[in-house]
Amino acid sequence: MDGTNDVLRLLLSTLTQLVQGFGYTLAIFGLTLIFSIPLGLLICKGRMSKIPVISLACRLYISVLRGTPLMLQLLLVYFGPYYVFRVSLGNDYRFIATIIAFSLNYAAYFAEIFRGGIQSMSKGQYEAATVLGFSKSQTYFKIILPQVVKRVLPSVSNEIITLVKDTSLAQVLSVAEMFTKASAAASKQVSVMPFIVAGLFYYAMNLLIEFILNRVEKSMSYYS
Amino acid sequence: MSDANNDIVLEIKDVHKSFDKLEVLKGISMDVKRGEVVAVIGPSGGGKSTLLRCATTLEKVDNGKIVIGGDVLCDGGKYCDKATEKEIRSKFGLVFQNFNLFPHFSVRRNVTEALIHVHKKSKDEANIICDELLLKMDLVEKADAYPCNLSGGQQQRVSIARALATNPEIIFFDEPTSALDPELTKGVLTVIKELAREKMTMVIVTHEMAFARDVADRIVFMDGGVIVEEGPAYELVTNPQQERTKAFLAGY
Repeated sequence: MDGTNDVLRLLLSTLTQLVQGFGYTLAIFGLTLIFSIPLGLLICKGRMSKIPVISLACRLYISVLRGTPLMLQLLLVYFGPYYVFRVSLGNDYRFIATIIAFSLNYAAYFAEIFRGGIQSMSKGQYEAATVLGFSKSQTYFKIILPQVVKRVLPSVSNEIITLVKDTSLAQVLSVAEMFTKASAAASKQVSVMPFIVAGLFYYAMNLLIEFILNRVEKSMSYYS
Repeated sequence: MSDANNDIVLEIKDVHKSFDKLEVLKGISMDVKRGEVVAVIGPSGGGKSTLLRCATTLEKVDNGKIVIGGDVLCDGGKYCDKATEKEIRSKFGLVFQNFNLFPHFSVRRNVTEALIHVHKKSKDEANIICDELLLKMDLVEKADAYPCNLSGGQQQRVSIARALATNPEIIFFDEPTSALDPELTKGVLTVIKELAREKMTMVIVTHEMAFARDVADRIVFMDGGVIVEEGPAYELVTNPQQERTKAFLAGY
């Protein structure tokens, strides 16, 4: 029965390692959402700005960040400061660089999703709010944004689910997130088992997210 | 301020407006007295809607003067400051052709939102005003419904209630029944008639000739960016003087 015991022990140690890594995965996921959504909104506003310099700069930003690999952006953010400015930012910077790169990248996608949502709003909503005396910010936060949230939710859900899987890219910076741990365990054990377990973790997390997002979508279905 | 001035709620004087090179308003002047109902008729593209949009601050005129409720919105094409503009916006209501209700708000919130957040009324005060208006609009049981669950006619009556809520001195209607089928048009027109009986000051852009004739005190016929003819409603419809007016009315 030694064989079974060995398998169990391996599985348990794999699980322990993956769970340790999962904390980082969650942190990358959560922090990226927290930073990229407001930043995306800001870039979206800039993209729609009437000032050509701002609008052009935001277009360029979106184009470059969407047009180059996220993995390359991770490496640039991490190694950039050293190669360009000769500053060494220590070991913690691995994680910080990951969050910066992810946030900058996802903000570009969110900006375009938000722009689509805002531009799909009819002019009449703004006009009705204007003649009723609402200020610009009241109009934006009370009238426009709540409706935009409903409209962009399906696309935002897509991005959120993609982000869960993309966190694995942090492996290039040797951040100890789940995929890095899974790779290490896999090569040590000479087995694909850690990858399969990691896959189950990602999928379980996305199942939960899907469930939550469906609930949110339902909660906004009282109007059309 | 003299009594004569006080009696004029809307003063439009020599208003010009162009979109790029196309001159849409070529010097429009009209006054609307307190309690008066003025219907603006004319072919599409004649400038009716643009005039209404200029009077309701949604478009800026190039030249001319607009005074609403004694406040000067613009003079010689030069516009007032933001505070005055805000003050002016509280003096008129606008009813759109396609309602433009806020779909994510219940009927009640559509009516009360501006009362609470622009006019700083308490929730209770706003609800009392709302209940009164919904009663008048025959929509009491719809207070908690959302616009998407209402018929077009009901939606338009909600938007009239929303425009009335802030107790404006004048209400503008931009083709209020053009998006409705005939069956639903009736209810909306009945409500407007009722308002006319109560001496609400109104400017109504409309294609409903019979309605304009019966409800308006005065009709203004616009075509090609100018006022071609104006006069007492019944006379203008039954005995137009200008060729263009005759040709237009012959189509109805």
